Amino acid sequence: MSLVTVNIDDKSYEAKENSLLIDLLILHDIKVPYFCYHESLGADGNCRMCMVEIEGKKRPQIACDTFVSDGMSIQTASEKISSVRKRILELELINHPVDCPICDQAGECKLQDYYMDFGLYDSNIDMKEKVHNKKHIALGSSVILDRERCVLCTRCVRFTSNITKSGELGVINRGDKACISTVPGMKLDNPYAMNVVDLCPVGALTSKEFRFAQRVWFLKSTPSICHGCSTGCNIFIDHNQEKYKEDKIYRIRPRKNREVNGDFICDYGRLSYKNLQENRQQELLNKSNVISYEDALLELNSKISGSKNIVILVDANLYNEDIAAISNFSQKIGAKLVCPTECYFDDSFGDDWLKSDYKCANLQAIKNYKIDSLFSSDQQIDLLINFNHPSFSKFSSKQSVEFSTHKGSSAELVLAIPAYSEYSGTTINDANIEQYSQKAITTDVATISEYLSDLSKVAL
Amino acid sequence: MNKKIKTIQRHGKTFKDRIYIPAIIEGLKTTIKHLAHNVSDINSVDVLEYPEEQPTDITERYRGLHRLTHREDGTISCVACFMCATACPSACIFIEATQREDGVDEKMPQKFSIDTLECIFCGYCVEACPCDAIRMDTGIFSLIGREREDFLLDKEKLLSFKGAFAQEDSIARK
Repeated sequence: MSLVTVNIDDKSYEAKENSLLIDLLILHDIKVPYFCYHESLGADGNCRMCMVEIEGKKRPQIACDTFVSDGMSIQTASEKISSVRKRILELELINHPVDCPICDQAGECKLQDYYMDFGLYDSNIDMKEKVHNKKHIALGSSVILDRERCVLCTRCVRFTSNITKSGELGVINRGDKACISTVPGMKLDNPYAMNVVDLCPVGALTSKEFRFAQRVWFLKSTPSICHGCSTGCNIFIDHNQEKYKEDKIYRIRPRKNREVNGDFICDYGRLSYKNLQENRQQELLNKSNVISYEDALLELNSKISGSKNIVILVDANLYNEDIAAISNFSQKIGAKLVCPTECYFDDSFGDDWLKSDYKCANLQAIKNYKIDSLFSSDQQIDLLINFNHPSFSKFSSKQSVEFSTHKGSSAELVLAIPAYSEYSGTTINDANIEQYSQKAITTDVATISEYLSDLSKVAL
Repeated sequence: MNKKIKTIQRHGKTFKDRIYIPAIIEGLKTTIKHLAHNVSDINSVDVLEYPEEQPTDITERYRGLHRLTHREDGTISCVACFMCATACPSACIFIEATQREDGVDEKMPQKFSIDTLECIFCGYCVEACPCDAIRMDTGIFSLIGREREDFLLDKEKLLSFKGAFAQEDSIARK
């Protein structure tokens, strides 16, 4: 496709012919307000916020429905446009309840941002004259609708009709009675439903799981990779350490990556943060007694040196760095390294979009290291060392050691390790893309590589 | 560019200034004048016999102990928006928000406590509050306790204080 030159605010930019003007503006960080346009949902042109002045056109035009052409000349910040935007925003906010103090969207709300950027007018409408509507409607799938805050951008409606194709949502009634609603007799119910909460530019759709949990400006976002399945969706882990309290994850949001997950994640992955913080193994246990780190290493060392037939189970959720360290370790002590992958397989989970049949994040690394994935024990195991593999209890052995993130281990020696959110590393997804997860939460627990390098010092 | 330069005459360089004694005598004159006045009429000295006598000059602007206000129907005004906790420079306001079930509003604090040992009484929380839910108009200037925990004021305690000056109810968000 040929490139064309477009002149925006007296600067020239290059763009693909017949691409949308709004994409060009967003790409070059030129301030343009918009509610209804979304890269993944396309243009709808109903909010009228993205007005720009195009030379040769009589009236301001919306940028989301304008295709670029060669020699186009555009003004985005002229006095006329500022005034037009201000009045359109006033119209959008005409019946808005201004209940920012109780709204979970406050702090990341487009209405707030645009008011500060383009509005700053005094309201002509008295609070008593505003049209009231229903608040706090449970739509299903932990999504709550507030009709007073809605600007009817229909992003949520287009998501359910174009992307998930489940079509639960629609706009009913007309004029100032128009509102978002589910189809009669239907609930919002699909495995990707909670994406509408991120899509909603205002506080009309909020999450029940995040409801009143935190104000968003306290949260720190750490880029990471979802460990729910082998798709490896890019996510932000939003966490906050309150004064005198532990660092805690409050929500998981999708992070844009066109090659993997686009703008979305599934609800399973979104809610997986709960399991990351519940029932966690914190101490090092030897026969249910808490022991020190040094004693644990000595105990582990004596177990290894006293056993002949050693089998190491490795979890397919661990980072590449861990699997490499475990692989080296197993060669050093002459152990058999296995990872039965059957327990991760769930064909009722996978679909043809983001969810994959294997519910583990780093299956590809297991294949790359040629780790035995079909292991079944026919001979007696002297020592079984498990690195957080879920089917540990299926194997019997004389002695057992488990490196575990969660409580409930039946091994004699239990060593706590951090979950993926608590240290950094890389994983390889289904499509063979290697991706890096940053450390979100700080913990005192030693990582697998730390255990193994300290163990080699003890062994000397 | 034309800069206007104004020369200021320096003081303190004369002999009289540099020996200091005339200035000291000038200052002592004022002190002795007051001393003579107070000794001659002891009742004219302004003394507050605290704590038997309480101050009477605490004005509306005085930043006393905090309180949480009520709505006209007697329920809590606070909607747990965390603006006070955000504005607080000593991070001494601890709030846990919850769903409000009585139909008055959607959100309210489950817990709301102020650690008055950490508080610097700057009044930013009062300024930040969009609902007029927190005020420092109790006129209380001393808080006594036996343990550290006594100084951590919880929601019930903060609601129990009465305003010493202005109207009792909160004015915002009816």
